[in-house]
Amino acid sequence: MRAALVIAAKDLRQRSRDRSLYVFALAAPLALAAICSFVFNPIQDFDFTATYAVVDDDRGPLAAVLVDDVLGGLAAQGNVELSQVDSEAEAARLLEDDGEGALDEEAINAAIVIPAGFSANVQTGQPAELKVLGRADATTASALALAIVQGYARELDYVQGAVATMATLDPASLADAEGVAERAVGLPSPVTVRDVSAGTKQLDDNTFYAAGIAVFFLFFTVQFGVNSLLDERHAGTLSRLLAAPMPKRSIILGKAITAFALGLVSMLVLVVATSLLFGANWGNVGGVALLIVAVTASAIGVMAIVAAFARTPEQAANFNSIIAVVLGILGGAFFPVSQAGGLLASLRFATPHGWFMQGLGDLAGGNVVDVLPAVAAMIGFTVVASGISLVLLRRGLSP
Amino acid sequence: MKALSIATSNLRRFMRERSNIFFVFIFPLLLIMVLGSVFGSGFDTRLGVVALGQGELTEALVTGLEERDEFVVQAPDDRDTAVRAVERGELEAALVIPADYDAAIRAGGGVEIDFIARPGQQGLSIRRTIESVIADRVAVLRIASFVTSEGAAEFDDALARAAAVSEQVQAVQVTSTISGEPVVFDRFGQFDLGAQQQLLLFMFLTSLAGSAALIQTRRLGIARRMFASPTTVRTILFGEGLGRFGVAMVQGVFIMVGTLLMFGVDWGDPLSAIIILLVFGLIGSGAAMLAGALFRNDEQAGSVGVGLGLGLAALGGCMMPLQAMELFAPTVWTVAHVTPHAWALRAYEELVLNNGGLGDILPFIGILLAYAAGFYVLAIWRLRVVLTR
Repeated sequence: MRAALVIAAKDLRQRSRDRSLYVFALAAPLALAAICSFVFNPIQDFDFTATYAVVDDDRGPLAAVLVDDVLGGLAAQGNVELSQVDSEAEAARLLEDDGEGALDEEAINAAIVIPAGFSANVQTGQPAELKVLGRADATTASALALAIVQGYARELDYVQGAVATMATLDPASLADAEGVAERAVGLPSPVTVRDVSAGTKQLDDNTFYAAGIAVFFLFFTVQFGVNSLLDERHAGTLSRLLAAPMPKRSIILGKAITAFALGLVSMLVLVVATSLLFGANWGNVGGVALLIVAVTASAIGVMAIVAAFARTPEQAANFNSIIAVVLGILGGAFFPVSQAGGLLASLRFATPHGWFMQGLGDLAGGNVVDVLPAVAAMIGFTVVASGISLVLLRRGLSP
Repeated sequence: MKALSIATSNLRRFMRERSNIFFVFIFPLLLIMVLGSVFGSGFDTRLGVVALGQGELTEALVTGLEERDEFVVQAPDDRDTAVRAVERGELEAALVIPADYDAAIRAGGGVEIDFIARPGQQGLSIRRTIESVIADRVAVLRIASFVTSEGAAEFDDALARAAAVSEQVQAVQVTSTISGEPVVFDRFGQFDLGAQQQLLLFMFLTSLAGSAALIQTRRLGIARRMFASPTTVRTILFGEGLGRFGVAMVQGVFIMVGTLLMFGVDWGDPLSAIIILLVFGLIGSGAAMLAGALFRNDEQAGSVGVGLGLGLAALGGCMMPLQAMELFAPTVWTVAHVTPHAWALRAYEELVLNNGGLGDILPFIGILLAYAAGFYVLAIWRLRVVLTR
């Protein structure tokens, strides 16, 4: 053990003089995180409010209910903004008017038109119509407007149906149609939708990109420790190490400790830096620490397999880069692969990156315990990969 | 020609690097495929519907939801799976229909359906649509309940009458008209935008990474030996530049043709598309020459080159699309135009979305040529001094 630590200390001292370590471990990820933060931040802060133009050509009681109660209620909750407009033509013109862009705060996302004679038509059982004008580039807002109006239309149909049914059973009730209608409205729908919204177990954009970049570059950082084994063989110092009075495993262990230290420190620095500089929110300290330790260990394991196979340092570096990139993409370190669905979304669980991102996401909506599955999976990776590489290395560890 | 042989030896060295097979050929296509799968096919609203029980009414509700265009309905196994899927971004929302749905409604009582979505306007919109579907399906039952509560009839009789009446009542019609064009990046084909972005990113990146070769040429003394032969500096520089250009073009042509064949990517008017490709190749090679002149060892050039290449690409709209920047972050959009990538992307947008031709992209070509000229002038000025160092 002591021998391993001495080797590790020597390696770390050597590496600290290597400028490219700092580039891969710190400068490159931070610079990239800075750019991503600059590019993505404004988009996250963007506030989606639907602004609806309301055209009330009817001014009857049923129109008032829609405008004041239904739409007004939503506006009071802050979900939509209403704008009274004089005519359908005006509303159509406003919809076409681009303004600064479809999501400009002043732009109208959809228009709700209540034609003249609406209330009267409904009350006398004649055909009645409500119109929703939407924009193709504001699909969510338009869909919401449509859903609201349809909901109101269905409510009106229900009341009409109730009054009519009562009339067939008890014609006298027609005299008090309004009373019947009022009581009908008072009877709640047998089915209610209860919103049990999820605590978001999803990372916000800033944290997502910071984490993805950090874990991606981690796999390059640990190479500095793992590949040093090949460097030593190349430089001829490996045979001297092997000749020294210490077991082979101390050498391997020493290199592993170096890689672990490098990876851990760089990840910690990145976590702190991105939190302070770019507003990344990594979450509970304990959970993050567990995840970092686990992913660093798995990175070492995976990179070690390559080191065991490769014959020269250049070969190792090349293969390592390829594997780091492929695992990074598939693991969703660059973009949320979970949204793709299907095989692509599931493949991320075949990579340490995928589990790391998943663990962070679970941590975001929960607490430390929630990272345990991800940590366990990454430890699993480490054990399997290290096992394979150890077998190969011990056999191959010869001058 | 001597310059040509310098260029071909460069290309041969490039092709001999086996790791290049991955980074130049496989990686870009892999990335484009993943990008297209994740982002390219527009955003489907995935709704998970968990029906804990069975029954006519439950089925009617599920069918009603499936019939709506707004959703893609999926069936998670149970409530926990559904909730987790929403939290992880695999579903936009989920609905849990309790086991006693049918029984409770027929008994005239109430039943609650749990709705899970991530907070935000989309969740609100989905919920409203669901409520509208529910209202539709339970309308007759609700009337029956009401009539029963008024004491006018027994439930089953009321139900029959309500059903009959509903056939005849004039339903309020809701007409919906959608006008205008979809958001700009929804108008691209599934893989188009990703292909454009990665084409530019990789051409530039491969060029910059390839500047290491130029540095090696200097360090290994090859440049000195070339210089010692009866060859002018001009020829050597031209040959090196041509070599860099060749590398950039190999990358560019491969991606353009590869994506066209594999993903059916639309590049617009062929002549114009190729011209943009050629000019961007000049830019990439110019930048590579400059990097080759400025850096002293190839490790330095490698890491800084990759960093700079990725950074400029990100800023220039190769990660977050320019069109998104224009909508959400106009300042960023303006800054993006510092990079040549942004101008090339705008040229391609013109070709693909507006069916533009050579005339339409001339201004962009002009600007891109200016970038190329700038890089080359600086590079040659510096290289004349350091080529033999």
